[in-house]
Amino acid sequence: MRPAPRTLALFTLLALGTAGAQTVTVGLDADPPRLDPALSSAFVDRQVLNQIFDKLVDLDQNLKIVPAIARSWKVTNGGLTYTFTLRPGVKFHDGTPLDASAVKYSLERNMTVEGSARKNELSSVKEVKVVNPQTVQVTLKQPYGPFLATLTDRAGMIVSPTAAQKAGADFQNNPVGSGPFQFVSRKRQDNVTLQANKGYWDGAPKIDKLVFRPFPDGDVRLANLLSGAVQVITPIDPKDISKLEQNQKFEVLNYPGLGFQGIWFNVTRAPFNNKANRQAVAATIDRDAVAKVVFYNTVKPAAGPFAPGTPVYNKNTRIPAPDLNAARQRLAGRPLTFTLLTTPGTVTTQLAQLYQAMFAQAGINAKIQQVEFGTLLDRADKQDYDALILGWSGRPDPDGNIYDFFVTDGSNNQAGYSNKTVDGLLAKARAQNSLNARSATYNVALNQIVSDVPYVWVYHPNNLVGMVKGMSGLKPIPDGIVRFKDADLK
Amino acid sequence: MIQFAIRRLLSALPTLLVVTVLVFGMVQLLPGDPARLLLGEEATPAAVAELRRSLGLDRPVPEQYFRWLGDVARLDLGASVKDNTSVGGLIADKLPTTLQLAVFAMLISLLIALPAGILGAMRQNSWVDRLLTLLALSGISLPSFFLGILLIYLFSIRLAWIPASGYVPFLEDPGRNLLLLLLPAVTLGVPTAAVLTRYLRSSMLEVMTQDYVRTAHAKGVTGGRVMFKHGLRNALIPVITAFGLQLGGLLGGAVITEQIFSVPGFGRLLVDAVFTRDLPVIQGVVLVSAVAVFLVSFLVDLAYAAVDPRIRYH
Repeated sequence: MRPAPRTLALFTLLALGTAGAQTVTVGLDADPPRLDPALSSAFVDRQVLNQIFDKLVDLDQNLKIVPAIARSWKVTNGGLTYTFTLRPGVKFHDGTPLDASAVKYSLERNMTVEGSARKNELSSVKEVKVVNPQTVQVTLKQPYGPFLATLTDRAGMIVSPTAAQKAGADFQNNPVGSGPFQFVSRKRQDNVTLQANKGYWDGAPKIDKLVFRPFPDGDVRLANLLSGAVQVITPIDPKDISKLEQNQKFEVLNYPGLGFQGIWFNVTRAPFNNKANRQAVAATIDRDAVAKVVFYNTVKPAAGPFAPGTPVYNKNTRIPAPDLNAARQRLAGRPLTFTLLTTPGTVTTQLAQLYQAMFAQAGINAKIQQVEFGTLLDRADKQDYDALILGWSGRPDPDGNIYDFFVTDGSNNQAGYSNKTVDGLLAKARAQNSLNARSATYNVALNQIVSDVPYVWVYHPNNLVGMVKGMSGLKPIPDGIVRFKDADLK
Repeated sequence: MIQFAIRRLLSALPTLLVVTVLVFGMVQLLPGDPARLLLGEEATPAAVAELRRSLGLDRPVPEQYFRWLGDVARLDLGASVKDNTSVGGLIADKLPTTLQLAVFAMLISLLIALPAGILGAMRQNSWVDRLLTLLALSGISLPSFFLGILLIYLFSIRLAWIPASGYVPFLEDPGRNLLLLLLPAVTLGVPTAAVLTRYLRSSMLEVMTQDYVRTAHAKGVTGGRVMFKHGLRNALIPVITAFGLQLGGLLGGAVITEQIFSVPGFGRLLVDAVFTRDLPVIQGVVLVSAVAVFLVSFLVDLAYAAVDPRIRYH
């Protein structure tokens, strides 16, 4: 594998069509569906949106909330009022000034525009008020601890009111923000092209042009990195990591993420309306084996929804070891047969087969059924399954990793789980502002959930980014979004 | 001839209507709700309901069908669920790419199949023939995703001669356009070449045993002249049919190839639309494909009728 550097350089130049300007091409695993912070509902959108739009606040490597467009903020009135002081002199790519009224417009747009996927995240907001051009005040209906953290994602992205009003529903094809890169063009299934915002308030980016290209197949994505067609790919398949690490021309960023993966049990029907059956299945799982065999140790064994390194992660968490005797005891001689629903794909197939083998050791018989992702979601929603493999990409605030999953009728509660105590605790944690207090509340809730087993957490995936050597300035921020503002290619 | 063409065109209308019903019906059978899929893991029931309403998915299926058919009759294929762009525009954007790829692949396959088929027939049962048969069988059996990855590995990674992916419109940069489409066209053309080689070989062999060929031989016409003047011309008739069928197939076969080489064509549009349940796009693409396949077979029929007068009066 030694592509002639000169040929590569030539191709890169040809690809640019603009000799001399520095371009970085990034391979993504899907074509970003909707480039509008209000409408976006896919993880892959965020990789592009984060370059175009500034947010009120952002995350740093330690998941601390840091200033962005809001230079500072104050929380008063018992957690009900958030007053943001904005950075002065910021302009959108179309020249519109970014002031308090633009922030008010963006937040209200996220809360009201037809089809907005942000309504839920901002449902606690009562009113957004412009105090003066540099100050914006948000009043909540009730205290909502996760509020600031939601503003580090699309809910806090500020769009140009002029452009959004002009484009209407077509804004997603012509997004205008104030971020380090500005939107140039998009060709579906081919590329999204951005160029550096030379007048960016935090200094111009070092690269001139940023191109995102979708490669749904992991092998194809890797081949494009190896052949020099792209300089960065995210994600990489775990099996390809050592291949890249052994190659002197490439580098791998491998850092913890915020998500979790595991197995849902449908608690609304047999056989998993029986808690002992759920406990029996959960007891057979060997998390270390999963991490080693399927993921080449690029994941961390999990025992709960909060990834290690996140603020409310309980350091005393013990990863349960497989216990076949306990599993057999729970079953007490009853036969247990069920269908495990999953999506097709090399990794998911391997994972499902490994689970199947683990269950079998305790005499549990699982049939694997593979359906395509849309069908899996649909059947999960309709609670038309026994058990299924599904996880979550993760959110910086703990609420985003637990509330909707386990509260009665929560939008991500695929198990149909309902427990009054848990409902009360999850609501209580939301209303608390101190992280320590919330942490304690979550731990109590988790004890209950873990013993009820509507879900069994198996692992926390890492963020995996592959890139050519010489690429620098990409910070490993746990939300998995690569920020290209400081990226440079030597 | 013109009468024949008109008759043929008119007879296609009911077929196309059946196709529209089938397309619409099949898409309804797809499990998974477009609104749910579009909103993904973050969906709330309220957001899903709102999106379903704004997409008109909450209406009864027959109503959705007739509304869609009415729009189609006015040449309006609707708008993509994903980003609200017009389906007609998307297809107009992607179809030329795939057509170019298909034509390129067809040329490559003819370049391989014509000499190989003739050579195989001329040297029947010799080692050359056996080798060609072996190659043709491998060409038919080799899955295109495998061949594609193999070509990428060889020409993009090992030799670094050709980029592994990408696309530039022909008018923008013809040289680069052809370079980028070369590997996908070879991937797509090889199985077709293999099929056509087999067809041409057996068709040639059959023609060569005909009386008029023997007569030509008897009259002292040289071997090569018989082969090309009498043999090839007649042998090509069934090959035209095969060619037409293959061309129709190429439009569909481009799906996998476009996926591997990241060519932003018709096939990728379809795959992407199926995975996101972008119903208007799926319906539009399938309908246009059906019309395209019909047009190809119509042109083949015309060519056939031109070559063989008996067909016109059938």
